Amino acid sequence: MQTSTQEKLSKTFLDVVEQLTFMFGEPVPKSEFEADGTVFNRAAMRFSGDVVGELAVAVPEEITADIAANILGLEPEDIESEEMRNDALAEMLNVACGHVIMALAGTDANFKLEAPATSKVDEDTYNKMMLDESYIGFLLDDNPVFLGLTLEN
Amino acid sequence: MAFNILLVDDSATVRAVINKALNLAGVDINELFQAGNGQEALEVLESQWVDLVFCDISMPVMDGEELVDNMNLNGMIESIPVVMVSSAGSEPRVARLKEKGVRDYIQKPFTPEHIREVVDQVMGVIENAD
Repeated sequence: MQTSTQEKLSKTFLDVVEQLTFMFGEPVPKSEFEADGTVFNRAAMRFSGDVVGELAVAVPEEITADIAANILGLEPEDIESEEMRNDALAEMLNVACGHVIMALAGTDANFKLEAPATSKVDEDTYNKMMLDESYIGFLLDDNPVFLGLTLEN
Repeated sequence: MAFNILLVDDSATVRAVINKALNLAGVDINELFQAGNGQEALEVLESQWVDLVFCDISMPVMDGEELVDNMNLNGMIESIPVVMVSSAGSEPRVARLKEKGVRDYIQKPFTPEHIREVVDQVMGVIENAD
């Protein structure tokens, strides 16, 4: 990923996450992430139009309730279902995706967003996110987060 | 004045967030209807009195722009204000939606204050208060 693209991606993602979830983050090298068995939940969505590709985010499962609670203005213990946690993670990605595309391609870009899909991260996907340069790392309220952008045009 | 409001979004989280923002903004709601896509929204619009619609753009089955097209076909768009709420609103798309009769566009993430401002403007609350 080009440095300028990575910088726009990082800034846009962190701005959106801060406004949406009131959680603060900073870019960090993925090499600082410890392989401590943390279970990650991932959301991914495709987009098409002037820019074509996929944006994905993976966060520790244990903070998905915090993300949902902050978006909904509730307490984490009020987030009872996995569906609520996944829906909130998907919405965080959805909002970030629109802003990322306009940051990269301009506010006059024509694009269409597909619905995000969520899943648990298996070992192969975790290893791919660690090695693949299209994924960058963040600490979000001190939690490791992966953000991956694939552009196909 | 209390409004009947329809929230159209495939995400239950987003519908809950808009509902919360409306409440925090002090918007007086008489009845709140919810729909997961444009098709479900049309069914609500055909059977219920709705004063204002908040609608996402990207949705399965029938997206927000298709809903607006359908509301244009049956003349609903002139009598029922539609406000799009999305992160997928590029300038050309927002301009196209406004040409089709959409009253306003709210970019996510949004604040309750912004929601209030749009409701006041679209529903003419400020004018009525004068």
